[in-house]
Amino acid sequence: MKEEIANIQTEALSAIAAAAGEQELEEVRIAFLGKKGRLTVASAGMKDLSKDDKPVIGQLLNTTRYAITEALDTKGGILQDDADAASVEGIDLSLPALPLHPGNLHPLTLVKDRAITILRQLGFSLAEGPEIETEFHCFDALNTPAEHPARNEKDTFYFDSGKLLRTHTSTVQVRTMENQAPPVRVIAPGSCYRRDEVDKTHLPAFNQLEGLYVDSDVQVGDLKGALEFFYRAMFGEETKVRFRPHFFPFTEPSFEIDALLKLKGEEPKWIEVAGCGMVDPAVFDEICKARGDDFYDPDKVTGYAFGMGLDRLAMIQWGIKDIRLLIENDARFLSQFA
Amino acid sequence: MLISKKWLNEHLDVTDLSNSAFDDILTFAGVEVEGITEKGIASDLVVVAEVVASEQHPNADRLSVTKVDAGEPELRQIVCGAKNYQVGDKVPCALPGAVLPGDFEIKETVMRKVESRGMLCSAVEVGLGSDHSGLMILPPDWETGKPLRKFVDDDTVFEIEVTPNRPDLLSHYGMARELSALTGREIKPVEIPSIEPKAADNTLSIEEQKVCAFYTATRIRNVKVAESPAWLKGRLEAIGLRPINNIVDITNFVLHEVGQPLHAFDAAQVDGGIRVRYAQENETFAALDEQSYDLETSDCVISDESGKALALGGVMGGETSGVTSATTEVILESAWFDPPSIRRTARRLNLHSDSSYRFERGVDPQAVTRASALAVKLIIELTGGDIEGAPVFAGAAPEMTGSVSLEPERLHQMVGGSISIDSAQKALERLGLVQEGNNQWKIPSYRMDLQRHVDLVEEIVRVNGLDSIPSRNLSTAAPLGKVDARYDLEIALKMQLAALGFFEAQCIKLISEDQLRDALPLRPMQEGDLIKVRLPLSEDHSVMRPSISPALLSTASRNVRQGAKEIRFFETGRCFRNAGGGKATDLETDVIGIILGGRKNPSSWQDNNIKMTNAFDLKGVLASILPGVEVQLSPVKSENFLLSAQILANGKTIGSFAQLSPSRGRELDFGFPVYLAELDLNRVCELRKRSSRITELPQFPGSSRDAAMEVPADLANTDIEKAIRKLNEPLLVSFGCFDVFRDPTGKQLDAGRKSLAYTFHYRSDDRTVTSKEVDTAHQKTLGHLRDTLPISFR
Repeated sequence: MKEEIANIQTEALSAIAAAAGEQELEEVRIAFLGKKGRLTVASAGMKDLSKDDKPVIGQLLNTTRYAITEALDTKGGILQDDADAASVEGIDLSLPALPLHPGNLHPLTLVKDRAITILRQLGFSLAEGPEIETEFHCFDALNTPAEHPARNEKDTFYFDSGKLLRTHTSTVQVRTMENQAPPVRVIAPGSCYRRDEVDKTHLPAFNQLEGLYVDSDVQVGDLKGALEFFYRAMFGEETKVRFRPHFFPFTEPSFEIDALLKLKGEEPKWIEVAGCGMVDPAVFDEICKARGDDFYDPDKVTGYAFGMGLDRLAMIQWGIKDIRLLIENDARFLSQFA
Repeated sequence: MLISKKWLNEHLDVTDLSNSAFDDILTFAGVEVEGITEKGIASDLVVVAEVVASEQHPNADRLSVTKVDAGEPELRQIVCGAKNYQVGDKVPCALPGAVLPGDFEIKETVMRKVESRGMLCSAVEVGLGSDHSGLMILPPDWETGKPLRKFVDDDTVFEIEVTPNRPDLLSHYGMARELSALTGREIKPVEIPSIEPKAADNTLSIEEQKVCAFYTATRIRNVKVAESPAWLKGRLEAIGLRPINNIVDITNFVLHEVGQPLHAFDAAQVDGGIRVRYAQENETFAALDEQSYDLETSDCVISDESGKALALGGVMGGETSGVTSATTEVILESAWFDPPSIRRTARRLNLHSDSSYRFERGVDPQAVTRASALAVKLIIELTGGDIEGAPVFAGAAPEMTGSVSLEPERLHQMVGGSISIDSAQKALERLGLVQEGNNQWKIPSYRMDLQRHVDLVEEIVRVNGLDSIPSRNLSTAAPLGKVDARYDLEIALKMQLAALGFFEAQCIKLISEDQLRDALPLRPMQEGDLIKVRLPLSEDHSVMRPSISPALLSTASRNVRQGAKEIRFFETGRCFRNAGGGKATDLETDVIGIILGGRKNPSSWQDNNIKMTNAFDLKGVLASILPGVEVQLSPVKSENFLLSAQILANGKTIGSFAQLSPSRGRELDFGFPVYLAELDLNRVCELRKRSSRITELPQFPGSSRDAAMEVPADLANTDIEKAIRKLNEPLLVSFGCFDVFRDPTGKQLDAGRKSLAYTFHYRSDDRTVTSKEVDTAHQKTLGHLRDTLPISFR
């Protein structure tokens, strides 16, 4: 019997070694360790053995079963590793990536969000107002003379109701001050409309971001500080910003802001990026009249305001030469901002 | 406006200022320099040269080696790239050391091993035009070796934009006065003889003082109308004006010299005296631009005693009243017109002139007689005329400026103490303001923009420059308000849609009436709900969009025409409408629109089995942007769409859903079904506000049971869901349909029926449920369905 057991072990181990796959290995396991397997059958012979032989043979059966099991496990592990390796054999990782649907935010949203993030750092919060506005909010309250060309029907879209499409986001200045006592520190991004024919640099609708800060002691230096901070955050810490005297009906003094920017393939040059100024006392007077109180009495408060073109900011930021790209929404264009 | 540096130099020495220094001074004065044009060459080193010989360059196909006579003892060898000349031609030659426009200095050089001692120039290189195609060929009679500037005037012309509050800068003298104030350079006054006009008799009367406060007329006899002398023509040509005759040229010269528009009438065309009046009803005016204009009774007309209109006051002269070669006697007008009146007339008639441009901004009232005297002096000098008696005037020069107080403490506040009162006062003095005692300042008559304290502050800041005011940053934390909260929710929503593979579109909110058939408004439109622009730029932009879908469809169509295989776009923004035929007007609602169509997955080398998106993909997007919200589509009838539904969130309508009609899809070149959704953005943001608490994970395992049911084909899934929810079985934690089977042929299943497979999951939060408990609960659920709906189980 000892000899038979030794034979079983030898044959089992060689069958295991010869097994070429997991299926074959399983067959070997059944052939030797299964219910009718040879070692199982041999074990059944135990009952006929003498008392003395039983422990010895029993011990031998156990070691044999252990050896075969171990060999099966080892071989199984090897076969599994081989199969795993085969599963990636010859794989060409240089084949193209499987495409997902691309998607991203519009460049105007990106530039607007960047601007909002920076201005929030300066303590501004968001305000809004309607796009269909009254002449009062768009012009009268902003010290715009009755004969001002901007009021012309050739420059501004009007409705039969007498209302108009706001020509600037400065309307939100008026609405905010009408509804909120000072101090106010708000920004208002939004669409504006002017009767400009569509070309490379004009659209009848465009996007502005307005800022207004009114408090008891707002100075020209505050205006400078805020906008220098803004454009350095926007275009880089080293960006030079200059304030050129200008004229707007609703601010006095008024300035245009230029940033010294280097566009791709060009020498650095001063590029106009915004208009700004100290709120004209005439605007505060109008607000006092509209509110029926003196919270905005120009003897008590001062303020600054600024307005920048977001389309222009996006065009500068990415070197976009034709503004129409911003409204055509061509996926080949939009996918470049991911 | 164009400013000639040479002309300006007559009033203020600016010869030493480089163009960029000049640009800087003007820029920081608030005058925008839009262009600088160099005319001719100021340098003596650009000379007339004759080409004596020209040979092919030995080492360069495109170059020639020339020998030129530049008036020197020896010929000069110059390498040249142009081909348009012949030996014997005279051309401009820049000698070493010459500086050409663009600060380009000429040096002796060696080009491809051949010495070149100067440069032969094109017209553009010597600032004499825009031709850069070859050498500028000069007239043969120009003397060789002489500087080019002996034959052509050099000048620098600045194209500037003056802000509407500064009409005082709209002349060379005015500009010189400003530059004098800013740079401290001394201004040379214009020499004007003093002529005292006398009050008018019946030869002149102003009938409407409101529109014309002051009018002077000077009669000059025995004038000889002729070509202007070279200096005068040169002045006008330098700023782009065409010389006409000496009289007209003098009026134009004076306008650009001191800023006062003048007009000269042919006295032979004037019947009796001059009358300044309003236009009569239905009066028409034949202007010198040969157009006829319909006047209104608020327009100012200069007429003669017969009533004949000689000019449209302050705007343009008449067709027949002007100076011609036959004119021997002129009446020279110099006047002050009411700015708003002139602006109204010029704008209404779209008739803009150098005169109206200045009058509508406001000319210096005190310059009216001085400008007239200057012109009279020139007319006498240049035409041999003489004046009979004194000029006459009617009305009076209006006092447009007064005295303004400078409040030191307010100035201090505005500039943070960075400008001393002393330097503030100096700035005002330099600008011609005169201190009248204490802090009162008399404003010069030409500075009508200085009316209030703040206007003085503006001038002080401008003259001192903003660099002198230190920047300050006293930012304080601001609480974010409602608009901020909404913005943050909206941007998160947009980012999620981008991550879901959608591009954000932004379109113009003005659309065409034709596009309205694509509209998918949140609520159906009624008569009168549409908001139309009164004077649209074009049909394409004539209506305020009531819905985002039209723009999304044209965006999608444009992309498909460019080869896009899938369309996945969204846009957020305002939509506009009235409500209920006038119940509410000009409503603006923030909306989000989504469009989906085309391939479900982009095709790849691995899987070429292309599937198209369908309605449930878009429903999936909606469910995904509204997590935790029960999103349902409730069908409604629609004429414009193949499929149309209301979007319900937790049972409340928040938007519209549609499948584009295939015929419209074909017009837009879509080769696949297209789905649209529009939702009220505020409602969506509201629903997306994160719940403040989380649900704990289950501690005990649950168990699932499936059920196959047969129901009538028209029974909506939502009815089954509603019935199950109504039962409120405590152990049932979730359920859902996982298969739908229909057989239109009726072979495997009655065509009027459908088979649905549902899975139900049962679980308890406080114990492991037994199989028996689950079975009982499941049977109760199925029994409830069987009792309440026409359902049978298989």
